[in-house]
Amino acid sequence: MKISEYFDTWSSFQLFLTPLLAGIIVAVLCGMLSVLVVLKRLAFVGQGVSHSAFGGIGLAAVISVYAAGSGLGAAMGQGSVGEFVIVVLFCVLCALGMAAVGDKRSTKSVQVDTGIGLFLVAAMAAGGLLVQYANTLARSRGVAEAQRSWESILFGSVATSSWADVWVSLGVLVVSVAVLWWFRRVVLFWTFDEGSAPAFGVPVLVARAVLMTLLAVATVTAMKICGVVLATALLVLPGAIALRLSRVLGRVLVLAVCVAIAGVAGGLWVSIETDAQTGPCIVLLLSAVFVATMVQGRMGQGRMATRSIEGGAAGKMGNPGRAAR
Amino acid sequence: MPTVAVELRDVSFTYPGLDQPALEGIGLQVLEHERLGILGPNGGGKSTLLKLVLGLLPLQEGRILIFGQEPRVAREAGLIGYVAQRNEAEIGFPLSVRQVVTLAASWRLRPWQSLPIASRTRIDELIDLVGLGELAERPIGALSGGQLQRTLIARALACTPKLLVLDEPTVGIDAAGQAQFAELLTTVHQQLGLTLLIVSHDLRAIAAGCDRVACLSCKLHSHTSPQGLTPAVLAELFSHDVAGLAGVHIHAHGPDEPCPIEQANLAGVPVKLGVPVKANPPVDCREGLLRGGEP
Repeated sequence: MKISEYFDTWSSFQLFLTPLLAGIIVAVLCGMLSVLVVLKRLAFVGQGVSHSAFGGIGLAAVISVYAAGSGLGAAMGQGSVGEFVIVVLFCVLCALGMAAVGDKRSTKSVQVDTGIGLFLVAAMAAGGLLVQYANTLARSRGVAEAQRSWESILFGSVATSSWADVWVSLGVLVVSVAVLWWFRRVVLFWTFDEGSAPAFGVPVLVARAVLMTLLAVATVTAMKICGVVLATALLVLPGAIALRLSRVLGRVLVLAVCVAIAGVAGGLWVSIETDAQTGPCIVLLLSAVFVATMVQGRMGQGRMATRSIEGGAAGKMGNPGRAAR
Repeated sequence: MPTVAVELRDVSFTYPGLDQPALEGIGLQVLEHERLGILGPNGGGKSTLLKLVLGLLPLQEGRILIFGQEPRVAREAGLIGYVAQRNEAEIGFPLSVRQVVTLAASWRLRPWQSLPIASRTRIDELIDLVGLGELAERPIGALSGGQLQRTLIARALACTPKLLVLDEPTVGIDAAGQAQFAELLTTVHQQLGLTLLIVSHDLRAIAAGCDRVACLSCKLHSHTSPQGLTPAVLAELFSHDVAGLAGVHIHAHGPDEPCPIEQANLAGVPVKLGVPVKANPPVDCREGLLRGGEP
């Protein structure tokens, strides 16, 4: 199906509109946070949190079997809001756990990346076992086994976004923006200079908890678009690209959000036109933009170096004093 | 009677799990508007002392008062400004000099409040004071090491502190930069009337900007030999640098004479560090007691 075919009727247009809206909302959320992720070097945290989602998915699967037949069970199906809430809560706990284990001030702390690695594998292992347990339980209880598409969990399923997804994403975005705005100064101070923050009285624990929670929520929301494996891309690439283009905070934030929106919309368009999976299209598109900014930066440096060499040579020949300056 | 800015009485601190104390029986008094340098070798307890003064470590023994208040209370009341070692900040961060300085003044505000005009004017004045007036809008990633440090000093001053604490301020700065830094500290001290506490292992950094110097190696005035701070090193460095740079004179007692400060500590009497013991260079006291130009 080509893009133009989606414009034939309202119902077919909605098939195009809902993924686009859900994608743009997630792009705004992740683009905004990606700047902080890159500056605070938390890219691996996103990866750890998104993989922890397996644990949450497993937990939701078990709850859905136990509560089968009731309203709760129905609310825990794959892709449901109930599952989303469970996964978000699970991932937030994992993110806070990673932060607590890697807290530099504690004498019992380990390296942050060790903490992340620990939670990542433990949550994935728990998720695998929980899903298996849920299936066994479902068979013994005569409940229909939940059919989980691992492919959509791993690589996302933006094309199947419903209006419910759009509203949930929008709610998450509004709350996240409000929380980030509320704590903006504390988070910014902490991100800029964690070492000195306690001496200034900045509540480091609050700043860390706020950013980790926002990251966990954003990662789970982005998983719908890009899947577990690729969710981190939206939390890293826009910020990395924007920081190559500007060093002024306001501009960096706006650029990151724009880059994320362009990446998601562009990826969606490419995937529809070529009938490819959306998540990988978005990630490859953003990666290509990042590589382009790097190449452009290198070429810019090269030009400057050439200019300075030429200037230096000219100086040596004509005016040694100028070259020295 | 001048106000006591910093007072430590019999402060000892041992890190959990370690047998050796990091600090033992420290007694120290800094008066308001004084500039005290604390000199010591690596591992001598300087950072521990600093964390205790800032209220970042729980006090185990003794008592610390900053302008008559507990360190944590004083810190939260904004009485203490802190300048960390300059390499700790993220230098590639997309913030301008003005934004970095403003953050320190504004983070306590309610989210919906913006910084009052008077505070903004003060921040501009502080940026001018540290000599970065023309670079106020420059991203800090584009600053030199010395300029970044000036930014961090302005940031510490933005909290309107009465005590400014500097941790190893001259690490990685060359001799010319150090002279400029000493000048800046003198300007800040004179114009804002602050009390300064400078902690460093670099004698020149301390000698150039301080009225008094205390040496710290676990005990503030013990007679055990701290590694790397032998009498010969002290004497050589002081005679070459201190006299020339800031006119600091050395007052020390010989190794065989009783140290009055240690005796006072033993008797449980709080002592004011830097009391000239005996003008008798070359230095023989291993943790030499130094005092700025006597009248």
